[in-house]
Amino acid sequence: MADRFERGSLSARFGRQTVKAVLALTLFFLAFPVAMTFISSFASDWFGVFPSGFITLSNWQDVIVGTGVGADVAVGSSLAYSTGLALAGVVINLIVGVPIAYAVARYEFWGRSWVNVFAILPLAPGIILGVAFLRTYPDLSTSGIALVIGYSLLKAPYMVMAVQSSFQSMDLQQIEESARSLGASWPRTFLTVIVPNAKTGIIAGSIISWTLAAAEFNFSYIVYSRGTPPLAIFLFNNITNASFLNAAAAVSVFFLLIALVTITLQIIGNRGAVQRI
Amino acid sequence: MGADHVSPGARVAEAVQTTVGSLVSPATERQREIRRVIALCLPFSVLLVFSGVFPLTEMVRISFSESRLVTEGFTLEFYRTLAADPYYRTIAFNTVWFAAATTVTSICVAVPVAHALEKYDLPAKSVILTVLSFPNSLPGIVAAFMIIILFGNTGVLSNVIAFLSGQSRIDVAIATSVGGLFFAYIYSMIPRALLLLRGTYAEVNTDAEEAARSLGATPLETFRYVTLPQIKPGLIGAFILVFRTGLAIFGTVLILKGLLVWTLQIDRELAQGFNIAQASAMATVWFVVVLGFTVLMLRYTSAEVSI
Repeated sequence: MADRFERGSLSARFGRQTVKAVLALTLFFLAFPVAMTFISSFASDWFGVFPSGFITLSNWQDVIVGTGVGADVAVGSSLAYSTGLALAGVVINLIVGVPIAYAVARYEFWGRSWVNVFAILPLAPGIILGVAFLRTYPDLSTSGIALVIGYSLLKAPYMVMAVQSSFQSMDLQQIEESARSLGASWPRTFLTVIVPNAKTGIIAGSIISWTLAAAEFNFSYIVYSRGTPPLAIFLFNNITNASFLNAAAAVSVFFLLIALVTITLQIIGNRGAVQRI
Repeated sequence: MGADHVSPGARVAEAVQTTVGSLVSPATERQREIRRVIALCLPFSVLLVFSGVFPLTEMVRISFSESRLVTEGFTLEFYRTLAADPYYRTIAFNTVWFAAATTVTSICVAVPVAHALEKYDLPAKSVILTVLSFPNSLPGIVAAFMIIILFGNTGVLSNVIAFLSGQSRIDVAIATSVGGLFFAYIYSMIPRALLLLRGTYAEVNTDAEEAARSLGATPLETFRYVTLPQIKPGLIGAFILVFRTGLAIFGTVLILKGLLVWTLQIDRELAQGFNIAQASAMATVWFVVVLGFTVLMLRYTSAEVSI
């Protein structure tokens, strides 16, 4: 608002400064440790106020190749394993999420708002679902299948919301009726006309649910039993067992992943999705 | 017996038959539409039942089970332990007050930040927005690591405070204390509160604010009497969302261990002798309380509270 009001009372004189100070402090609090982690991952030691001994790649090398002690698995195998698990979760999310998003966006039916609530409200957080899985699916837990179906349920809301935001910007009824009047059957209309039109939402939803599934720690920690650790467990092992700067490198790998995903989402141009992640 | 007298069972059977019949070979457009809706919702329902409803039901059953290795019998022993043992009462109290305190703090920080983002001309706004939403996609264990960077034994702020106060930096390092955990919680919570509040702020009626200012209200009065009532749904929504998050945090507290909370104790039950019945009882209580809280609170807000 205009500067001519900026006089007199205490809040007029200091209000804006105070609000700006809170913003600056918040930015510092959230961003500074991220920057320090990334920078220190290239340092050889950190004994004083700031890390020193630049530039070494040995921390990154330990993370990428594996050290043989402590958290001895290389990030490559964890990343590949997590990529696969999370990708399988995304496939399930596509199969369950796109149709239900369309049903809620396009049709009026009894119980529609309840369906919507169930589709976008996370049913239970990772740790509770993990406990529920432990004895319900003991055989699946060791194979990674339990992780996949758990991920797909935990991350389905993100898929549904991203796809719904795409559907909401389209005149679904008109598109559907045009396709139908040109002779397409309803399943064909859905698969070849509706779904391709929601492409941005579907891609954004897939990227988001993939990233969040790869980062899901609480559920993985309870359910995971042996074999290659998923990425989040790998991070945990590094943070608790490896040297501080190795852990910084491992966490930095994760930052790079998130940054990459954020940039991709911005290129796709799904602004709602960028905010959600 | 008259011909028009049909037993209730037969009537239900007939209704089912008509419904199934209309789904198999729909006659009207409305029936076709219902068939489509069911087909569209079916995959999600299968996933929901298989990986959500069924395991959670099993979890509840295990918590009443008398036997350790298979689910059988019925006992209230584990719930009685939760209610009677002062150890668990302390944990429950810790969980609630800590989540409430961190929630209120995060919202108090998020309101001015959302205000600045919406009302002020800020340089590099898109960069600021990216930085503010970045922590949303970080798991709790990474949030814990961020706090170790700031407040750990070699942490940057520990060093600064030690330098200013002349104490040893080990003495001022708070990362693994309750204070450190507090910062770790709000590290995850502030971005979530912001996400919701920014949406609400975008819909605030700026005309009313300008009118209040031109009638002589100070900025603070304008905020108190004009802006605040308008963002109230967002505040309640943010409270529900962030408080829920606070109750669910696990990875952060697993690393920092500053305070024994409900989720950490669930893990300890499993880690120390795999006491799954007690863990399930705790998880069930958690689930019921949070679900009840969400349903109750949703009556007081119109904000979109989903994730």
